[in-house]
Amino acid sequence: MLSLSSFVQKAQQLLDPTQGLSISSDPDRNPSKASLFQSQFRLPSSQHPLYEITAELTIPPANATQGDRDRDRGFQYAGKLHLSESFLCFSTTPSSFLQSATTATSSIFTGQTHGGGPNGNGFTFPLCAIRRVERLHSANFQFALAITTWNGVSQEAAKDKDKKELREQRITLQLAGSRQACERFCDGLKRGLRANVGNVAKLKRVIAECYSEYLLRPDDQKNAVPPDAGLGMLFKYPGDPKKLRDRAKMRLWAEYLRDNGRNATLLRQPTFHKLIRVGLPNRLRGEIWELTSGSIYLRLENPTLYADTLAEFQGKESLAIDEIEKDLNRSLPEYPGFQSDEGIGRLRRVLTAYSWVNADVGYCQAMNIVVAALLIYMSETQAFFLLSALCDRLVPGYYSTTMYGTLLDQKVFEALVERTMPILWEHLVRSDVQLSVVSLPWFLSLYINSMPLVFAFRVLDVFFVEGPKVLFQVGLAILRINGEELLDAADDGAFISVLKSYFARLDESAHPASENPKLRAVTKFQELMVVAFKEFSGITHGTITELRLKNKDAVLNNIESFAKRTAIRNLGPDSKLLSSDELGALYDRFYGVLYERQQRDQLLKQQEQARRAKASRSRIAEAASEGHGVEKGRVGLGPSTSLMDYDAFREFLAAMCKWAISDSPAAPRRDPVAEQRGYGSTRRAEPLSPWGSGPEPADHEFLQRLFRNWDTDAASTLTLQKVVSGMARIKGKRDIMGSINYFFELYDDDGDGKVDREGILRMSEALLFLSRRGLEGASSSSPALALGPDGVVGPGDVPGQPVSERFLGSVSAFIRRCFEYADPDHPRNQPDGSVQDVGSKLQATRLDEDPAGEELANPDAFAIGDDDDDDDDDDDLLAMDSPPGSPKAAAARPSSHPPPALPANDNNPTARRSVSKAQSEKANIALDPANPLHITLPTFRMVVLADELLEHFFETAFPASFHVIEGLASAASASPAGASSLTTFTSLGLGGAARAISGAAAPSPAAPAAACAACWTTS
Amino acid sequence: MADSAPKPSSSVKLVLLGEAAVGKSSLVLRFVSNDFQENKEPTIGAAFLTQKCNLPTRTIKFEIWDTAGQERFASLAPMYYRNAQAALVVYDLTKPTSLIKAKHWVAELQRQASPGIVIALVGNKLDLTNDGAAGGGAAGAGACDDDDAAAAAGEDAAGDARKITTEEAKEYADEEGLLFFETSAKTGYNVTEVFTAIANAIPETSLKTNRGPGAAHGARHEQPGIDLGRQDDGASRDNCAC
Ligand SMILES: Nc1nc2c(ncn2[C@@H]2O[C@H](COP(=O)(O)OP(=O)(O)O)[C@@H](O)[C@H]2O)c(=O)[nH]1
Ligand SMILES: [Mg+2]
Repeated sequence: MLSLSSFVQKAQQLLDPTQGLSISSDPDRNPSKASLFQSQFRLPSSQHPLYEITAELTIPPANATQGDRDRDRGFQYAGKLHLSESFLCFSTTPSSFLQSATTATSSIFTGQTHGGGPNGNGFTFPLCAIRRVERLHSANFQFALAITTWNGVSQEAAKDKDKKELREQRITLQLAGSRQACERFCDGLKRGLRANVGNVAKLKRVIAECYSEYLLRPDDQKNAVPPDAGLGMLFKYPGDPKKLRDRAKMRLWAEYLRDNGRNATLLRQPTFHKLIRVGLPNRLRGEIWELTSGSIYLRLENPTLYADTLAEFQGKESLAIDEIEKDLNRSLPEYPGFQSDEGIGRLRRVLTAYSWVNADVGYCQAMNIVVAALLIYMSETQAFFLLSALCDRLVPGYYSTTMYGTLLDQKVFEALVERTMPILWEHLVRSDVQLSVVSLPWFLSLYINSMPLVFAFRVLDVFFVEGPKVLFQVGLAILRINGEELLDAADDGAFISVLKSYFARLDESAHPASENPKLRAVTKFQELMVVAFKEFSGITHGTITELRLKNKDAVLNNIESFAKRTAIRNLGPDSKLLSSDELGALYDRFYGVLYERQQRDQLLKQQEQARRAKASRSRIAEAASEGHGVEKGRVGLGPSTSLMDYDAFREFLAAMCKWAISDSPAAPRRDPVAEQRGYGSTRRAEPLSPWGSGPEPADHEFLQRLFRNWDTDAASTLTLQKVVSGMARIKGKRDIMGSINYFFELYDDDGDGKVDREGILRMSEALLFLSRRGLEGASSSSPALALGPDGVVGPGDVPGQPVSERFLGSVSAFIRRCFEYADPDHPRNQPDGSVQDVGSKLQATRLDEDPAGEELANPDAFAIGDDDDDDDDDDDLLAMDSPPGSPKAAAARPSSHPPPALPANDNNPTARRSVSKAQSEKANIALDPANPLHITLPTFRMVVLADELLEHFFETAFPASFHVIEGLASAASASPAGASSLTTFTSLGLGGAARAISGAAAPSPAAPAAACAACWTTS
Repeated sequence: MADSAPKPSSSVKLVLLGEAAVGKSSLVLRFVSNDFQENKEPTIGAAFLTQKCNLPTRTIKFEIWDTAGQERFASLAPMYYRNAQAALVVYDLTKPTSLIKAKHWVAELQRQASPGIVIALVGNKLDLTNDGAAGGGAAGAGACDDDDAAAAAGEDAAGDARKITTEEAKEYADEEGLLFFETSAKTGYNVTEVFTAIANAIPETSLKTNRGPGAAHGARHEQPGIDLGRQDDGASRDNCAC
């Protein structure tokens, strides 16, 4: 697992080697300004901070409802004005999301605002909600804008022109900045307004579903049908409306909305936040949740998404739907709405639609409870978008398939308890009570399933404005208030029962014995809110972010090691052939490669975007290029790819097999001066190799074969299961026969037990490929000569000659023997006369001064067996005598010896020595595509076992060349090996032979028989 | 309970694991309330229940964590089995994959849970098999070890939904040193036996004695408003067949 977590760092160092530990590729650690901006104003991820400017907002004095007030002054707020693609936002909290601002400026500020929500005073106007912008003349050369909104637009159709002016919402903004900056901002605003005029119809549609429109409807529409404000309208809202003082709250809100605009045109002033803290009125609750969470902006972006999704997937089935179905009857079953088909139907539709649009999350138990709660106060469509906002922003990762967000926040909560209530923490540790078994449901269901509904909704009211820190503050307050009793509880049961009885008495007096009637009137719930937000006011969004960062790796590692244990246990019978260390290592390598590739892809894409943005000098593109969600693919973060394609497979092998590393890595693909606009500072990015920090993998025909062989169902991708099964066949049994059989199978394409001429050539080519960096494993150093089954002296030890070099000889003998013992496909059909031409072409020659370009390109040219068998010490090396490194060495020229037409099945051993020349020529005949032949597995086995080195190769070296556990880090040639370390014909000064083989390998439709892919020598 | 002098009482943390829908919650409900019904309980993470089990020499109070059914909650499981002294790993006799999953949980517990943890392998839904139909009436009669003959006889009969033979599971359980039972939460067959056997198998030394008044409650942590009115009297009732 270590390897996995280090990838983040690796990837980051690639981006910016100077940046040390601040991880730029991790959006949590170093969030982009765009994402900070989005979370500050709760905007969709399509929005980027394009322009910002310091400004002063003047809200005109409230109209009639507020009675006599100073009509001239109104309310003034200093703050920052931001413009994105579709929004104009103002906040009094100091903030900057400019490209030039440091990330710290942006993120410190998110910490200050306790969760980034729309906490300060100001507004978040969709540009389509702005009706008119006028430039005001002002004396001091300053820019002042008057902004008129479409406040109340949904009712205007019915009204005549003059009347509406009465309710017109008009604010002014005094811009503070250089003339140029002001001009730029205004230009941007103008463009944005123009681009967004088309959205006014959408806006009308969206706000028509807002209860405030109905609440503030003009007198002539008194009989209008109210919009859907949840199941509560049909089944009553939970709690006693009198006790909740619902009417009074509604009156206050009506007044506030009348003065400050409603829904899309709402202005946030201090009263707004106060009204939320005392609890929202039932019918407005859904709308305010929608506003404060920002889900209304998601709805505005795509108002028909919910209905469209339902229509699109009508009648389709899925696992998520099955799971949803099981839970429908146990979602707030005590609420009458959910004992009815109406309520159940709504719940089913919202959960189902969401499971389709976010298939990664699908459905997670607890979502049923949360959505059920939302549906009491809002329409299906509203609940659908609010669920999106929850899953994507407010409680990210809570409901994912690994639930890492849930587990992470439990760790964070524990850390906070330890920090703020050390005595209680001590007690928990001592009595072996795990806090999270108690607190997990609080967070996962946002207290909805833990407290009586009326109180849980009060928590939600604050949660949607102030963000996730609220869940922690409330949780801490619960423990603080019950601290003494909890110190007496010694096990899970006692602990749970203390809290359960506390929750049951939240509506009781917190101080029943008090003399003071005011104090007596304070309920336990009120006390809870006070403790949560006063005593734990120090718990900010910044606190939570910091603790999440601190615990993130540990949590992910836990999840991943759990997932790993599970996966390894479920790998099936083949996995039993490998050791558990090997399985663990394979798992790590498999997901490591996938994860790293995914990261790299993202980074490359970002670099590319940044480069393009820079080139085009487009602010929008530049802003858009800031990464979000670079971090993908970690198993712990939920579903990502678990399929390995061929390129990933190459990379996977290159990390553990010397032979799988390319000999001649391509030059870095990326422009080395490509620059990345960093967060706040322009810095130079290292060019990113498409292979990351690892070596570039080879691309050899053998790798393709291996991939295809492991890809048992021809899906063109490998699962971990397939990789393990494949590896089990190579490393699992560790017997030579199995190894030989497996190699043969790799080349027996149609599985008929025969490998034809082409296959034989490819096999030998692969043997050379696999051995070019030497043979591995305990080398058989016994110098004894091995006797082949036919009594011929095999390629034994030659004193002073390294094993790897001798192996070349073995391979050469291998080819010769294969052809020698091959069975003709049609023995009767041996052509005679016509063979000559072809055969002579095949004859490779000794040194030839002739450039013979044409011949070089001749794919039929395959140099083999040209030397003399009688030459004991110098067996079978191919075209030995080419001068070292001679580029022209590999010419083929017509042979002076026409190959005699020997019977192909003549393998009389006694005749061999004397006719070695003839034999080599016979072998060349064997190369003739016109003479189809093949070897069978027994022949192959025999040929292999005839050679000590080949035997060693199959018994030890090949399986040992897969360094599954230790990888190549310790192996000698972990770094891209220079040509000098290769054992090839070229490096041994046998360039001619090598070229002859590669010549034969050059792909040409004319000679498929000899087309070995030998890119490792040519590339 | 005729005992005049209170027997020593200790609490045992028990966790239920197994594939979704094998009947974990039903087994617990049968054990705690001697009832069988569709699960109406909204479970977040895991449900907590308690039940006492009277042994001749002592009383065991089970603190039961019934883990949630959804697959993704599996990664929360360590939280619940962490310091458990006993585990019920449940599979469905009529569903072969559920035994594979059960074996996974056994391996997980053996590797990750407290060393001395007592594990019982439980094949549930015996009533759906032929021997279940026969043995169903005799709920609570005899431990399943006596059942082998009956099970073998029943397998050949037509209409048997059994997919996992008693022998296969028993052999595996013996290999791994697990208690083994075949049960029906529906009929109640063998359910209390499982818990009694576990109670007896818990080594005396690993028992911690209950203390404090708080520990006497049998409680579930769900929100009161959602409580379906099931009494919290499980703790005081004694339906452990001992
Ligand atoms: N026939 C039969 N059905 C059972 C038995 N135990 C549980 N079930 C049913 O199996 C389904 C899943 O049960 P449940 O206890 O929720 O499983 P859990 O997911 O493991 O908790 C429900 O429909 C139960 O009624 C049993 O012993 N026999
Ligand atoms: Mg269950």
